[in-house]
Amino acid sequence: MTRPLLVRLVEDYWGVVLLLCAWQLWVVISRFNVIVMPTPTAVLRDLLSHPDVYLDNVGVTLAVAAFGLVAGMAVGTGLAVAAWFSAITAGLLNPITVLFSSVPVVALIPVIARLLGYDTSTVLAIVVIITFFPSFVFASSGLRSAPPGSEDLFRVLGASRLDLLRHLALPAAMPNLAIAFRLASAHAILAAMVAEFLMGTSGLGYLFAKTKSDFQTEQAFGASAVATAISAAAFLLAGRVERWARERYS
Amino acid sequence: MKRTLLGSLGIALFLALWQAIGQFKLAGISWPPLSAVLDMLSDASRLPLFRRALSATLASTAVGYAWGMIAGLALATLAHLLPWLRRGSDRLAAVLNSVPSIALGPIFLVLLSRDSTPAAVSSIHVFFIVFVSTSSGLQRASAAHRDLFEVLGADRLERFFRLEFPAALPPLVSGLRLAWPAALIGAIIGEWFGASRGIGILIINAMQNFQIVLLWCAVMLAVVASLFFYGLLTIAERAAYARFG
Repeated sequence: MTRPLLVRLVEDYWGVVLLLCAWQLWVVISRFNVIVMPTPTAVLRDLLSHPDVYLDNVGVTLAVAAFGLVAGMAVGTGLAVAAWFSAITAGLLNPITVLFSSVPVVALIPVIARLLGYDTSTVLAIVVIITFFPSFVFASSGLRSAPPGSEDLFRVLGASRLDLLRHLALPAAMPNLAIAFRLASAHAILAAMVAEFLMGTSGLGYLFAKTKSDFQTEQAFGASAVATAISAAAFLLAGRVERWARERYS
Repeated sequence: MKRTLLGSLGIALFLALWQAIGQFKLAGISWPPLSAVLDMLSDASRLPLFRRALSATLASTAVGYAWGMIAGLALATLAHLLPWLRRGSDRLAAVLNSVPSIALGPIFLVLLSRDSTPAAVSSIHVFFIVFVSTSSGLQRASAAHRDLFEVLGADRLERFFRLEFPAALPPLVSGLRLAWPAALIGAIIGEWFGASRGIGILIINAMQNFQIVLLWCAVMLAVVASLFFYGLLTIAERAAYARFG
């Protein structure tokens, strides 16, 4: 059943629209100066009038986030496979990953910046670290989620450990990896932005920090709005990927 | 038994590696040995500084955690009882979660005050996790159970309090466990926007003044605070799964 457009808009976005209206009203009623707090319409106007400034920085942030996401997921999955191969590696790795998964990663940014330097490599390292943990945790449990007995069947038919990995464990881990991808993709952009904000190199976080201190508050909020839109879109899109993986592999 | 042994060995290896890298300056001067960090942490003259920062951050985190939990539970329950609200509240939560926390700082700075900004940012982080885990948990009750309640004449509220809410408890507690580190991160980021004290302030100051050992101490405090409560909540989670799982 298809719903009319207006009904769909109200049903899906009443919360977001309400929030934006409340923001607009709040700023208008309190008569804030635009430096203190711009209205959503002022932010939109700034977005439309300087698209080039935004596009450059979006490109930088997106590239770092995407590259970091892929690298982080590769490292996480790789280590999960290593842990799957050997019980000793698993035993050594597990507590450390639990330790790290509960660590406030943002607190590590200054430490990593001291080690790698105040540039894009630190932003990349943060994205890798933030995406690595969910992929390791979900891949590890996914690799062990093949139906009970199927591993014995493979063994009886003479499959090697590598065959087992390729034809049984990895396909079984796909839906879980997709969940990790969804969790990590939204965080990748936000983490990149926080790191850029602290480091002050380039990208959306840098744009935010710079315009904030120059009192171009509309542009600072514009940068945040763009980041919000990208990260929400990444979350929804990755949700589609997750559904596809679940249907395809389970 | 074997798992604990290997696990402790893994942690010990990690700590030894940390000490060695610091001792032999393998990563340059920015990586102090573990012993230097522990020395400073136990230095009596620094204790009041650490205690003030930690208690400020923990207080903001606790307040944000409580508010975020209440808001997440309330919206998830409302959307569950009034299904036509569900799609919109899902979208709202997803969008709120996508707002960069550094953008939340300036908003709460204007809306509230400098010293309540950390708690506010932290509550937004907690809200999303609690909302997601509660709303998926509320759908856990099986159709057969629902039908049974229907047949026995339970009304909507009875079904909610006696069936659906208890069934939602295990995922909710898992959510609460994951929400703690997120709450702490929110508080630390919130402190960057002009709070008077806290771990976040300590981290930024140490970073800007190149006090490397102090920086590592501040990070270590954040990690320990995160792990301690995370561990407590893991125990609570086991209990919830054992009772309601």
